[in-house]
Amino acid sequence: MTTIFRNAFTRSWGTILGWGLSLGLLATFLMPFYDTLAGQKESMEKLLASYPPELMAFFGDTGNMTALFTPEGYLGFEFFSYMPIILGIFAVLAGSGLLASDEENGTLDLVLAHPVSRTGLFFGRLLGFVVTTVGILALIWLGLVVGRSWSTIELTGIELARPFLSLGAELMLFGAGTLALSMLLPSRRLAATVAGLALVASYFITSLARINDDLKEIVKFSPLNYYQGGDAIRELNGEWLLGLLGVAALFTLLAWWRFERRDIRVGGEGGWRLPLLSRRKPAFEKS
Amino acid sequence: MEHALTTQNLTKSYGSVQALRGVNLDVRRGEIFGFLGPNGAGKTTTIRCLLDLIRPNGGTLRVLDLDPQRDPVAVRARAGYLPGELRFDDNMRVEGALRFLNQLRGGKADWGFVRKLAERLDLDLKTQIKNLSKGNKQKVGVVQALMHRPELLLLDEPTASLDPLVQQAVLKLIREAQAEGATVFFSSHILSEVEAIAGRVGIIRGGVVVEVADTSALINRSMRRAHVRFREPVDANSFASLPGVKVLSRDDSTGVLMQVEGEMDGLIKALATFPVSDFETERPSLEEIFLTYYEAERK
Repeated sequence: MTTIFRNAFTRSWGTILGWGLSLGLLATFLMPFYDTLAGQKESMEKLLASYPPELMAFFGDTGNMTALFTPEGYLGFEFFSYMPIILGIFAVLAGSGLLASDEENGTLDLVLAHPVSRTGLFFGRLLGFVVTTVGILALIWLGLVVGRSWSTIELTGIELARPFLSLGAELMLFGAGTLALSMLLPSRRLAATVAGLALVASYFITSLARINDDLKEIVKFSPLNYYQGGDAIRELNGEWLLGLLGVAALFTLLAWWRFERRDIRVGGEGGWRLPLLSRRKPAFEKS
Repeated sequence: MEHALTTQNLTKSYGSVQALRGVNLDVRRGEIFGFLGPNGAGKTTTIRCLLDLIRPNGGTLRVLDLDPQRDPVAVRARAGYLPGELRFDDNMRVEGALRFLNQLRGGKADWGFVRKLAERLDLDLKTQIKNLSKGNKQKVGVVQALMHRPELLLLDEPTASLDPLVQQAVLKLIREAQAEGATVFFSSHILSEVEAIAGRVGIIRGGVVVEVADTSALINRSMRRAHVRFREPVDANSFASLPGVKVLSRDDSTGVLMQVEGEMDGLIKALATFPVSDFETERPSLEEIFLTYYEAERK
């Protein structure tokens, strides 16, 4: 497992630096703008009031406009509100490719022909994903901490770290969910598509539920409903955090259980097809 | 005799397609066993079942006295595998890829031996995998399969994509591995190489092993061609009625080409009654024997 983890981690350096540095720089860049925004409070309030509530719903709670002029409200509105959708794309792509990518390109066949248990391979790769995600979040957090020097925001490093715990739990949930889908569905692409649609649907339902009471029941099943964003700066909801991590653990167990029992495919071997497509023969034709 | 691997009634389906329909095989320890069949016959599926990469639907498997489904790691630790569809991480160098695979084996390989193997196959360890030709990638596959001196070699089309000189080098390495005590089970549809190194051959057709025999016995006991030249014109139809004899052609009134299946005794006795000026027999290649199984299928 150690060798698998080391290999997975080595391969993800580019991912950590690419996602972490770009979003970290964005975080650094956003911090000084808080002072500008706070200095124009009156005109900004008027401007925001003119926006339709359907638009404002996507940036967090619209009921209290004054919250936007607090550091946590500003960061929630300008940064943490859309982080789950941006980094959610990373989690979906990484989760779908954790095993299925190597399986589809044929390298998993060779690796698993070595004295490596499927469990060892699975958890080695999963640990690689967790460490990669933590690395990306740490760089973004560092961006906020560095940017703090150029603004009047006086939040501590720990306060700035709390939203990342909530964000990290969401990413674990979407990563593990997509991993489970990639073990159940015939291809990595299909798993990523289904998980990506679920991510976007969750974002829309959670946002629109802020202005539409009809969605109050449905939103309970939306993972992003339990994402705290900027609100976590002041107080982290531990139950929500553990709930998200618990669901992520369930998805992980499902994926592991399936990986332990399934055939390692080569070029689509052993994949199932949707009933409507079942007239086509599986493309296993390798002898 | 002790067997390195055994399969009994091995079945495997992919949806509605039955890839293996009851494969029975016994491969003896220390032998080179050639597994012949065209694409789609079930060779790769059989090999992948032996390493627990895919799970059979029925039947039993024993590899090195172990059940690959119960002890897959122990089986893989003692086996070397060359996949038919060989892929590496393209961003690694050859040496990096081999070192990674060696680490998965707990660093068991002697690196001096690895360098020697690479040298014999004219493989540059410093090259990036993505810059290698298909043939050179195959060389990396051969090295990784052999580098830890496994007890059992499972090779799926080992000489695919290699030029004739390297093919010979690989066959020599396989013979040397056998000489050191390894059992070699390799699939191929290149019959000349199977004929050259395999002590026994199994022929798989449509997911069933239709023949297992010593390579030499298989060649000896099956069809031969007999060219007969007579001193005077004869009626060749009289030979066609002999059991196992088929007249293939007559080049002129005194020359006859026949195909004889089984014993030659009947034909020789019949020929003795004619004035024969020349008699020549030709053994079929393994390729021709192999094709007879498939022609029977088509009929």
